[in-house]
Amino acid sequence: MEALIRPEFGLMFWTIACFALLVVVLSKTAWKPLLHAVEERERAIKHDRQTAESARAGAEKLKAELEAKMTELKAEIHRRMDEARQAAEKEKDLLISEARKSAAVIVEAATREITAQKAEASAELKNKVAELSILAAERILLKQIDHRANTDLAAKYLAELEKERPDLKLGAN
Amino acid sequence: MGLKEILEHHITDKIWAWAALGPLRLPFSKHLLMMGLAALILLVVFPLVIRSRSSVLAPFRAMIEIIVLFIRDEVLVPNLGHKAGAYLGYFATLFFFILFLNLLGLVPYGATATGNLAVTGGLAFTTFMLINFAGIKEQGPLKYFAHIVPKGVPGWLYPLLFPIELIGLVTKAFALAIRLFANMIAGHIVILAFISFIFIFGSLSAAVGFAVAPVSVGLVLFTLLLELFVAFLQAYVFTFLTAIFTGAAMHPH
Repeated sequence: MEALIRPEFGLMFWTIACFALLVVVLSKTAWKPLLHAVEERERAIKHDRQTAESARAGAEKLKAELEAKMTELKAEIHRRMDEARQAAEKEKDLLISEARKSAAVIVEAATREITAQKAEASAELKNKVAELSILAAERILLKQIDHRANTDLAAKYLAELEKERPDLKLGAN
Repeated sequence: MGLKEILEHHITDKIWAWAALGPLRLPFSKHLLMMGLAALILLVVFPLVIRSRSSVLAPFRAMIEIIVLFIRDEVLVPNLGHKAGAYLGYFATLFFFILFLNLLGLVPYGATATGNLAVTGGLAFTTFMLINFAGIKEQGPLKYFAHIVPKGVPGWLYPLLFPIELIGLVTKAFALAIRLFANMIAGHIVILAFISFIFIFGSLSAAVGFAVAPVSVGLVLFTLLLELFVAFLQAYVFTFLTAIFTGAAMHPH
């Protein structure tokens, strides 16, 4: 049984030599490429993550910018609408007052015209009435006044006149 | 043939030839062959799998990657801190080398090289060297040996503690070697014992032997699965303890 626990120094030498050789060779041929691949992958993953994160940050920044622009635009639209509304109000008031003014002018002119025409018409009417009445009176007078009546009338008027103006009395003196 | 011979036949190394290198006699043995196989797998298959872009090999690549990253992030970084990257090659190789030596022991006609004290001793020796190398490199030789005794120890204890800690340095590595060795042969011994049951009971009567056989085989199967688990566990434990010792040598607080 002592063969089990009696170390064979020659084999020990073989072991050490074999192991040392393995360490030297494997470090170059196996572990280095392995770690290289792992590191490359890790770097690629890191790079991908960084790219994704920067892209996300960019997108978020853009979104924030757009939102700011949006609110700005909304405020702008609001302001413009208010302005437009005020301008329209002003315009309306102006138009109404102008319309009122022109209406007043028209009304005044019309009134004046009406008055003038009324006056003209009434004057014309008066003239016509006077003329008509004169003509009518003429016709009436022509019909009624005959020679006898005229003589009577003339005698009467003359008597009256003589009474009023005794100085003009004919033949009585 | 007693249990002793069976155990020696199945667990100890079979040396086929010797080569001389100065004072050292280098054996060519079955455990060396297993180490060569493990090294071949690591040297040929691993670089191919790792470098290949084939989707068929992707699961294997992912498995290797998960283990290496686990060693880096869960074993090395907590112990070695920012120096983890520099030592990753050593620890990853250590884990996979031990793992493949363990697993080759479970393959039919294979042998468990990590069930040989010389092999675990060799691995523990490299760990011992690594601990001292990392400690001296990180702190400088003077500070390293000054910090061997933990902080907060009263001054008069130093003459006592310094030799103890020096021995402790060796003990750590020695314990690593014994732990791996014992864990790897224990399962084999248990399996051999269970199989021997069949023949022990069979020597009473053939009928009893046949009755015991299914029970024995079931237990052997269970032990084999346990060994499969232990193969991974001990590779991890060896790596993990090496990392703890190295970290302690580098940062003596």
